[in-house]
Amino acid sequence: MFRLLYRCHSPLKPYRRFFSSTRTYLAEVHPTSFNVIHEIEQDGARILQAVRKRIKVRDELLANMSEDMSSPEDIARARQLKELEPLHEAWSNWTHARQSLEEILPLMQDPDPTMRTLASEEFTSLAHTLSTHISTTFPSLLVPPSSTRDLHALLELKAGVGGSEAALFLLDLLRVYVRYAGSVGWRTSVIQSSETESGGIRDAILEIKGEGAYDALRWESGVHRVQRVPATESSGRTHTSTVAVIVLPLSEDAESISGNDELFKMEDVKIEVMRARGAGGQHVNKTESAVRLTHTPTGITVSMQDERSQHQNKRRAFQVLRARLMDVKLSQDVAHRRATRRNLVRTADRSEKIRTYNYAQDRVTDHRIGLSLMNLTSFLEGDGVQDFLDALRRNWQEEIMEDVVGESE
Amino acid sequence: MRTSDSVKHLFARLVSSLGRATATREFKWMKQALIPSHSLTLPAMLQRRLSGEPLQYILGTTPFGPLDLLTRPPTLIPRPETEDWTLRLADMLSPTPHRPLTVLDLCTGTGCIPLLLCHLWPPGSTRAYGLDISKDAIRLAMDNAARCNIPSSQPSSLTPYSQNVFIPVLGDLRDPDIFKYLLPPFDIITANPPYIPKREYDELPISVKDYEDPAALLGDPPDSEEQDGLTYYRLISQLLRQKGMLRDGSIVALEVGRAQADAVEGILQQSAGLRNTQVWKDPWNVKRVVLART
Repeated sequence: MFRLLYRCHSPLKPYRRFFSSTRTYLAEVHPTSFNVIHEIEQDGARILQAVRKRIKVRDELLANMSEDMSSPEDIARARQLKELEPLHEAWSNWTHARQSLEEILPLMQDPDPTMRTLASEEFTSLAHTLSTHISTTFPSLLVPPSSTRDLHALLELKAGVGGSEAALFLLDLLRVYVRYAGSVGWRTSVIQSSETESGGIRDAILEIKGEGAYDALRWESGVHRVQRVPATESSGRTHTSTVAVIVLPLSEDAESISGNDELFKMEDVKIEVMRARGAGGQHVNKTESAVRLTHTPTGITVSMQDERSQHQNKRRAFQVLRARLMDVKLSQDVAHRRATRRNLVRTADRSEKIRTYNYAQDRVTDHRIGLSLMNLTSFLEGDGVQDFLDALRRNWQEEIMEDVVGESE
Repeated sequence: MRTSDSVKHLFARLVSSLGRATATREFKWMKQALIPSHSLTLPAMLQRRLSGEPLQYILGTTPFGPLDLLTRPPTLIPRPETEDWTLRLADMLSPTPHRPLTVLDLCTGTGCIPLLLCHLWPPGSTRAYGLDISKDAIRLAMDNAARCNIPSSQPSSLTPYSQNVFIPVLGDLRDPDIFKYLLPPFDIITANPPYIPKREYDELPISVKDYEDPAALLGDPPDSEEQDGLTYYRLISQLLRQKGMLRDGSIVALEVGRAQADAVEGILQQSAGLRNTQVWKDPWNVKRVVLART
């Protein structure tokens, strides 16, 4: 437990990690071939540790089984054994592949070129098997399926300290998420934004429609800090500004105006139209479409005014309200699990600074996992965000796996 | 002056005329409505708005519930108050193809009320008529029906309809012959008739008075004895009183102006003999609709 918390708060060294989902190990570069097993195992150290613990549990279960398998304890043990069977099989495959890889290494130095070629091909295939086990096979067997895997996402962005510079950076971040969503094939629309006079955005809500959008993006919640010389700054002084991001879960039917489901009761929602219209009706043809919802039990309020249609603003407001309430519910679920079980997985504190974008050093650093990525442009203009999302997902999976394993101890 | 300069300047004027928040939103909607190849430019839109023209005429559309309706001068622009009560009415009833409803909307204008009902109710459950005295309105209502994919002609056969139908009819509600075209009895009669009294009309903002059809706004003919804005409710009551107009269990929903609800309720009870009435408030807490049931 100590190790984990320690690592989260103060990573000593940046992650030395390869963030593509599986790594291709090239056999041609011989000096590295010998290190490959070591490298894969180091890369997947936390996962392997979790797997080994589970395998140990299985071995003990097997050892404690009585001969005739008749006692009630035996039935429970048999059930547990059965549950662990897929993992055991994967572990056997892993051990087998690892052994084969060790055996093949000397053959790669063989004087016969045909043998070397064969060995090299075998090497590549085995190394791939091993890395796939680390990246996919073991996590899929140890991490329970996410209950939020179908959900879409709402991203709320708010400029924090730094005034107009923060608003400009918010626009940069918004573009990153819109482009990333597009590259995955998710549909985006900015459902609310308030532009500043200098061309930035003070706050915005981005809707991302696509299954899995919430699970992929939820790590982005927190305070994003930028350190750069603002375009508007004549003296060349570096400014620090922040943008707060909150990723909310969005279900398919979130736009429905009706209530009375597990999230809220319609009678608990006060719907108000904003601004007076005087006599209203035929007397006035000014567009007044702003709507405000107040969820009385939680005090959550949502205002929407970006659309010309009051009806549309109302639908949007309900969508945001639902997302916020579901977010509250998910946080409560996590807190509840934490209270009832030993759970080491931290929930994100949204006021926590999670990432720094340093222009002078051309670097993006995620403070939670100590990952730094050089080349800021690749983050802002390319797919750099994917590297962070992958690393964060993996970090989360590892914590879950350690958690699951910890429970059975 | 370069275009960007003139846009900036015009926007600044819009801010001082509407306030920053409203001006910013309207400006955004103008930009969204821009079609690159179209002759309508941003400076032209801003100019028109500054001279008082309603945004809905400049953009050419207005949202109405989930619909996006065409708006053309001088036909009355659908109001959010009307949108609100029409949605409420749609929610209150649930016709089916087996229990279809016939709707008559008087003073239909853009056709917004029957079109929204036709849109929201299941296919084949609704046959609506919309009466208006203005040719412009009837043309616009036809165009809107097409825009909403709702057929606007009488179905040729009497077999059960697979679609909802909205038929705009040009005519005067005072003309007894109109019922050659409209086929009573009706299950629902709706209307947003002109209801503004002359003295209030004179005080209306430019964007209403100078752009929208006075015939859709002024509640009484100039030669009328009464100048309380209620002439059309009296006419409608006479219509409702006619035999065979309403079915048993029919609903009448009439939009009213501020402070007119009680008077209109009285007219419906006394002249039309509709005793079962109630009043709906709009989202701004103004008594907006008088509802009567047979």
